[in-house]
Amino acid sequence: MKNFYTLIKKEVRELMTRQMIFSLVFMILMFGMMGKFVGGIKEEAQKSVSFAIVDLDKTPFSQTVVETLGGEKNVIKENNLEEALNKAKEKDIKALLVIPEGFEKDVEEMRGAKLEVYSILKGLGIGDLSSSGMIKSVINNINEKIATSFVQEAIPGKNPQDIMNPIRTKEFVVVRDRTVRGSPEMIQGLVTSQSVMIPVILMIVIMYSGMMVITSMGMEKENKTLETLLTLPVKRSYIVTGKMVGSALVALIMATVYMIGFRYYMSSFMPSVESTPILKDLGLAMTPLSYFLLGTSLFLAILVALSLSMLLGLFAQDTKSAQTMNMPLVILVMVPFFLLMFKDIRTLSLPLKILVYAIPFSHPIIASRALIFQNYFLVIGGMLYMAIFAGVAMFITIRIFNTDKVLTAKFSFKKRK
Amino acid sequence: MDKVIEVKDLVKDYGNIHAVRGISFQVNKGEIFGLIGPNAAGKTTTLRIISTLLQMTSGEIKVFGYNVAKEPDEVRKYISYLPEEAGAYKNLSGKVYLEFMADFFSDNLEEKKEIVERGMRIANLGERIKDKVSTYSKGMTRRLLLARALMVDPKLAILDEPTSGLDVVNSHQIREMIKNFSKKGTTILLSSHNMLEVEFLCDRISLIDEGIIVENGSPQELKEKYKANNIEEVFMEVVR
Repeated sequence: MKNFYTLIKKEVRELMTRQMIFSLVFMILMFGMMGKFVGGIKEEAQKSVSFAIVDLDKTPFSQTVVETLGGEKNVIKENNLEEALNKAKEKDIKALLVIPEGFEKDVEEMRGAKLEVYSILKGLGIGDLSSSGMIKSVINNINEKIATSFVQEAIPGKNPQDIMNPIRTKEFVVVRDRTVRGSPEMIQGLVTSQSVMIPVILMIVIMYSGMMVITSMGMEKENKTLETLLTLPVKRSYIVTGKMVGSALVALIMATVYMIGFRYYMSSFMPSVESTPILKDLGLAMTPLSYFLLGTSLFLAILVALSLSMLLGLFAQDTKSAQTMNMPLVILVMVPFFLLMFKDIRTLSLPLKILVYAIPFSHPIIASRALIFQNYFLVIGGMLYMAIFAGVAMFITIRIFNTDKVLTAKFSFKKRK
Repeated sequence: MDKVIEVKDLVKDYGNIHAVRGISFQVNKGEIFGLIGPNAAGKTTTLRIISTLLQMTSGEIKVFGYNVAKEPDEVRKYISYLPEEAGAYKNLSGKVYLEFMADFFSDNLEEKKEIVERGMRIANLGERIKDKVSTYSKGMTRRLLLARALMVDPKLAILDEPTSGLDVVNSHQIREMIKNFSKKGTTILLSSHNMLEVEFLCDRISLIDEGIIVENGSPQELKEKYKANNIEEVFMEVVR
């Protein structure tokens, strides 16, 4: 066992180079800066948009509109549009609202009064484009109030809402034997987090750990240290597992840093997913058992990735070819990642379904959704498949390590003569 | 005399290439035995098979009585192999590299410390032993690797071209070191194409050419047999 720890220690020391630590620090800084930057833009966009009003109508009704839109402080006292626009530009105002002459009269006579909105663009950022949207929502509000008062006056004794919106919907969501009032959009947050975050985490961890293992094998061959290592009085199975665990530790450190950074970056513009009452009422909330099973499923997927990487690493002649050897692993992660991000496994065609089920890395993604519906059979089945897959891959790797193929194996694309 | 290595009818093919074609030899305890021959004669292949790295096509090899093909884990407990083109872990310092290797040979802290100190003496790199291997010259790396192979006082040291690529001074130091180690009781099997080195170091030699052992004996016996001034002349005479 001591030899095993010695191998792990060596592996970590070899892979955790100064350059790698530097790139980790750089990654943290980069995500931090990006998060702050994107968050700043969002904050700016959410700030009350600076706008000005020009009241050319000057009637009691236009005054009411001005009040609704924030009062005198927003009013530009100019008597023509051109001057008002120039003043707005000077004051760095993003939108100008013009109440034209005859506005009150048009409203009273139900002729479709018009308010003019001028959006002053200085760039094409999110903050620059959000001004007219905000003003429109205020105008919609005013519209509804005016319409309600008209309907009340015309048909007294009736609820104006029943006349303006004669048909309304009452939505229900049915999951298994439970029916709860609400719309599917209300569980969108959970579904998004499960279908995006889990595959992203999986992809990052698998790619990093796979890359580390293959690179480690490539380095052994490039630096010509493998032969010495293989003649030491240590079991070959320890060399294989030591490499896997050592590389996985380094990969986990890298993936954790990456994920924290990614999460920070995402949280700067995405709302956090919290358990809403509808999820609890539908029995869709993740239980401690669900989290345990999901964790085990992710762990098994990593184990599969490590054992597959060791196999692929056998063919790496140096660190350069190690990058190419990682490709099959990347493809195996990408296929279920993209297929299952947009479609549910049940909606795929039979050949695609077989393909997705056959790829071991599909199972944590499938599990993340199946667990919401407490479909444990599918989850445990996937876990068993991954355990068998990892076991077989490790068995083959150790068998190869016990032969001279570990030194002689290589891919050759040249035609044999 | 105790036999440390017994090689019988060893054959190794790489596909259609016959690297070793049925060679046999024995190495006795405490001697320095040399496998001598030109490039691609089959020396390295033979040493790699004895070191449990390669599998033989046919034949039998025993090291300290253990069958190399069937009991490789046992064989590895007795040997220390220095490959011709070996390297060390570049991100480790020379000292940490020796400590890493010593870990596999002893559980006792004191003993491990002794092994590492012996290694540092053999490597003779001074303060540079604390520097990363990536900053070493070829000669320094080779000395570190030889130190790694000998510091554990192996029962059998298998050295493939031990002075390969070294300058005259470094080569001389390493030859002296090997000779001294043999006096302490370590059996040494080495390969070389440097005939002068072989004459200086080896108690007995086997001349190998195109995968076949063409002559056996001590350097002195062979020189007398072929009335030659040195082993180079013997070799030329034998392969003519």
